[in-house]
Amino acid sequence: MKIFKFFITKIFLRKMIFSIGMFLLFFMANYTIFTTARLILSTFQGYQEIKIMDQEGTYIANLDPDSNIDMDAIVENGTQKVYDYLNNNFKYAFYTDGFIASLPNNDDMEISFSYMNEEYYKLNQFELSQGTDLNFDYQFNKDKEIPILVGKGLSKTYPVGSTIKIEVPVLEQSMTLKVQGVLKQNAYHSNFYALNSKTYYNFSVFLPVNQEFIEHANIDLQLNGLMDIVILQTTKEKVANLSEIMQDNLGLKFNFFSQKENYDYFNEYYLHSLKIMSIITLILIVIITCLSVWNALVSIRLILKDFTINLLVGLSYSKLKKIFYSYFGILFFINLIVIFLITAYSRYGNWLRKDATFVTYGFFALIGMDWFALLVVFLSDIIIGMIIIEIMLRKIKKIPISLGVLQ
Amino acid sequence: MTNIIDLNIREKVYKKKKTQLSILNNFKLEVNAGEKIAIVGESGVGKSSLLNIVGLLDTDYSGEYTLFGSLTANLHASELAQWRNQKVGFVLQESVLINSLTIEENIKLPLFYVGSGKKTFKLEDFENVINAIEIKPILKKKPLECSGGEKARAVFARGIIMKPQIILSDEPTASLDVENRKRIVNLLFKMNEEFNTTIITVTHDLEVANRHDKVIHLERSK
Repeated sequence: MKIFKFFITKIFLRKMIFSIGMFLLFFMANYTIFTTARLILSTFQGYQEIKIMDQEGTYIANLDPDSNIDMDAIVENGTQKVYDYLNNNFKYAFYTDGFIASLPNNDDMEISFSYMNEEYYKLNQFELSQGTDLNFDYQFNKDKEIPILVGKGLSKTYPVGSTIKIEVPVLEQSMTLKVQGVLKQNAYHSNFYALNSKTYYNFSVFLPVNQEFIEHANIDLQLNGLMDIVILQTTKEKVANLSEIMQDNLGLKFNFFSQKENYDYFNEYYLHSLKIMSIITLILIVIITCLSVWNALVSIRLILKDFTINLLVGLSYSKLKKIFYSYFGILFFINLIVIFLITAYSRYGNWLRKDATFVTYGFFALIGMDWFALLVVFLSDIIIGMIIIEIMLRKIKKIPISLGVLQ
Repeated sequence: MTNIIDLNIREKVYKKKKTQLSILNNFKLEVNAGEKIAIVGESGVGKSSLLNIVGLLDTDYSGEYTLFGSLTANLHASELAQWRNQKVGFVLQESVLINSLTIEENIKLPLFYVGSGKKTFKLEDFENVINAIEIKPILKKKPLECSGGEKARAVFARGIIMKPQIILSDEPTASLDVENRKRIVNLLFKMNEEFNTTIITVTHDLEVANRHDKVIHLERSK
């Protein structure tokens, strides 16, 4: 320990290239690995989530990019006609979110309302930490209370069984909502077309919608619900007819893609760019590792005399190896701490900004994917560290430690 | 007298890309405890290489080396390091100091490597050494703040701080003025007289060489 402390304070830290230089290079490598590992894991999670749509006869709506939305031209009657057609001819999964409501809560967050019908709810199989599943067969305006699910962040203010009297944003009328269950911590939904992008439900309210609810809802809900509507157990011809009905009543062209087509899109655009990103990351890591080796070898040249003097008076190669491993271990550990702090601050920043859709609960603020990425960084550090140290030691051993080197 | 060094080198080869240089061919060295040996010869004949081998820094040669009755080939690298720490002292040119350390830290450097239960070191030993060598005033200075003579004495102090049984001295006076040269050589012989320390000195200075018990002329291998 005494020797190690001596080397750190009297030799390594005195050479900027071996302290700051190595630290910065390792930080670049670690941060690159960390962000890529997190991106890949998040995409994989989205991929798993989206798999539920991968069924024969399932089609997902997508507004044609060339369509111009003229809200003035779209009337509630038109959207309702589309829903009437849907109700009469299809089984469909309805989901829309992002409707902000002023709902007092302990954390003073803006609450997002998510609306879904029974088919969507069944497809996604949301896990609950408390309470029971949603029921969708309530009678609008007759039943006194509509059952809802809340995110973990709302469960303290609104525990299971409590009621909330609120003006529901899309109904423009006051309703009483009864908390039936609490979603599992960090429940999320991935974007269909950017699978790594997630919306977290910790401060969301899940409101079940049925045909009656949609009939009473305003055009915002009706139109938004159509944007990503999922048609189940149907055929290409039938959804083509639906597309025509939508065009006639809304003036908007909707395309319907099977999940297979969505996967093709994903593979063509997103997975391809993900692959490129992974390759670039790998190349970057190799370059940074080479730079680190070069940096270490330059440092060795600068410190060689100091090493040699120490070898003269009793240092052995095995002890020197231990010193290097310990020193690099400390550098990597500090790097991991820095990345941990940056990530924790970023996660905590969502709480500070009251950014309800990104707020998460985690162990020391970090959620599972962050810890996984840190583990990947830790493992890659072991590999990078071993490569650099073994090359350094080989180089040192190649230079004959002799009196000639000193003089 | 006891024979503490029994060295028999068949060949020491330096390889550099496609060329190779062979030195110290069939070289034998026997040294008794307390003996003073000077090694002279022109540059490149292998004087420093010989010291590297004797000082357990270089084990890459063909031949046998018995030190204090032990065959060095049988010693583990950590044992060789321990012997360098406790049995062999190196007195080199004045530049061989770590510039980021003070003179005191440089002198005390071998103490870091004293393993537990091994040779003990007393503070008074350090005091005795610095008093004998007269370097107390420069202990807190860094090498770059010292004169050549002061640095040479610091290197000498580091070489003897563990009271080694053998001192290997490689051109210790090469860049010193006459007065400092005399001083260092006198200190070296004083160690020999007081502690019966074996001295092996590589030098170009024949005046210094002739003060030793034996002078070995190394010649280029044919």
